[in-house]
Amino acid sequence: MASVLPRTVQGPPVPLRWPPEDNRIPREIFTDPDLFRWEMDAVFTGPVWVLVGHEAEIPQPGDYKTLSVGAVPVIVVRDAQGQVRVLVNACAHRGARLVEGPRGNVLKGGFRCIYHMWTYAPDGSLLGVSLPDDFPAEFRKEDYGLPQARVALYKGLIFASFHEGTPPLDTYLAELTEGLDRVLGDGRLRYLGSIKVIFRTNWKLYVENIYDGYHVTALHTGFQVVRLRSHGGQRLVPNYERNGHLWGQSRSTPREQLEPVLRDMTLFDVRTKPTTDHNMMVVFPSGVVTDYFDTLQLRYVLPLAVDQTLIEFTFFARADDPEEVVRHRVRQGPAVLGPAGAITLEDAAALERVQQSSVARGDNVVLKGTPKRFPPYRHVDEAPIRHFYQAYRRLIGVPVEEGSS
Amino acid sequence: MKATDSLATREQAARELLARYVRVVDDPDRIEEWPDLFADQAEYRVVTRENLEAGLPVCVVCDDTKDRIVDRVTVIREFWGAGGRLEDRHYNQVRPRHVVGPVWTEPQDDGTVRVLANFAVWGTPAGDFYPRLLAVGEYRDVVEFGPQGPRFRSKWVVLDTPVLQDVFVYPL
Ligand code: FES
Ligand SMILES: [Fe+2]
Repeated sequence: MASVLPRTVQGPPVPLRWPPEDNRIPREIFTDPDLFRWEMDAVFTGPVWVLVGHEAEIPQPGDYKTLSVGAVPVIVVRDAQGQVRVLVNACAHRGARLVEGPRGNVLKGGFRCIYHMWTYAPDGSLLGVSLPDDFPAEFRKEDYGLPQARVALYKGLIFASFHEGTPPLDTYLAELTEGLDRVLGDGRLRYLGSIKVIFRTNWKLYVENIYDGYHVTALHTGFQVVRLRSHGGQRLVPNYERNGHLWGQSRSTPREQLEPVLRDMTLFDVRTKPTTDHNMMVVFPSGVVTDYFDTLQLRYVLPLAVDQTLIEFTFFARADDPEEVVRHRVRQGPAVLGPAGAITLEDAAALERVQQSSVARGDNVVLKGTPKRFPPYRHVDEAPIRHFYQAYRRLIGVPVEEGSS
Repeated sequence: MKATDSLATREQAARELLARYVRVVDDPDRIEEWPDLFADQAEYRVVTRENLEAGLPVCVVCDDTKDRIVDRVTVIREFWGAGGRLEDRHYNQVRPRHVVGPVWTEPQDDGTVRVLANFAVWGTPAGDFYPRLLAVGEYRDVVEFGPQGPRFRSKWVVLDTPVLQDVFVYPL
């Protein structure tokens, strides 16, 4: 079974060096432009479900937003019948980008290409072309709809796949659905806005960082300043034999017991949940879902180049939150997890440094928690990173050899 | 002194406050002075034009009280500053540099002065060869005049860039 879109390269760059031990990661994979091109095909338009949004971002018919699936620019749109579609954001004629802005509504007028005025309905079908006299006789509008991804929804989360062989979403997510249920509840959310920022790092370094529990106390010293600790937790890797999602669970110190270093400690409030349990999840390969403190956040990891990754942080409230809860979420979310957030900045600094020295050759090594071969891991372990790369290596065609350790 | 004089004086004082702001935020050693530029009831917000025009409430920075403005310095110095161990700072060394364009002042009936100005912020990282354009946009400020002199009642940093070019440490 194949990708819906034609491949742009035939296979992985050869020879791709990969040490036999599954806890060693060759640094070249963060700097090799040929591998990057292959990943855009083999991973992002391969047999995966890529998180591209939540229905609350496009509630009305005709509402759309833009982002990319790997390197492929897409429009996520609710058509006139209310069905969610993921369309390639390139005119089927000579390829002009159809939609420029990040969000909008096209219920009236559809998507009109500026170049030769072809017009598409919100469902991607071609409605009309300008001046079609002298077109070839066999030209039929039905043949020129926009290419579309397969779309599947879970609790309002919108997933896209450009591959015909991707298993059903439920199978793909496996036990991760349990974590998603905890965060998303009945799935009815209210979209509060998004913040986008460029990380100067390879997309894999951004994603593997979330699998890594080891850095949390070492790097995020702000936690220590307020004496915020994890009181237990674990790192699960649902479906690790196939896709290797991450489900990090932790329980943090309640706000009353924190060192009141800040004048306004509501940054660390948990008002909307019965306990201070948090979930931090990666839907392989590039979606992040979390309910850290009172912050309901999705992140879309969008690779721009081998050493640049755009992260879109989107923030949500529950659909029937009272206004004061919405206000609290707005004050807390970006102040913790966003480009000016207390925590994100440190990750950005560390990841940029890893990227900068990836030209140093050699391997990055994963150690903490690795004597254990399979999940669940402790919440302070970095061992789950291995499973991310196992899944990744299957997709790029360099699978881990049996019996290696 | 005629009323027009005091008006001109207020506008001049508002411009000088903005100049002082730039001196402070461009100097990593002076960040402690930053909250003093704000009134006791003040707000400092960084918003993207995209969210603002869509009526979405999420801001990049939402310091809607003086307490939060003071806390920002604590976060920079303590949280990201590895508890004051400067050599272990957990953010990369980036020297900010504001370039603030024409400053437009509009005296208001309530005695405040509205200040509008274009800005670009560059960051020069210690660990890279190239200066980076961090942000481009517009200040929309309100300056009030109390016993402690001119101070910002509100400072809105409206970013033209829907995509921030980098995380940033010091206030924009
Ligand atoms: S490229 Fe879109 S109509 Fe020609
Ligand atoms: Fe982190």
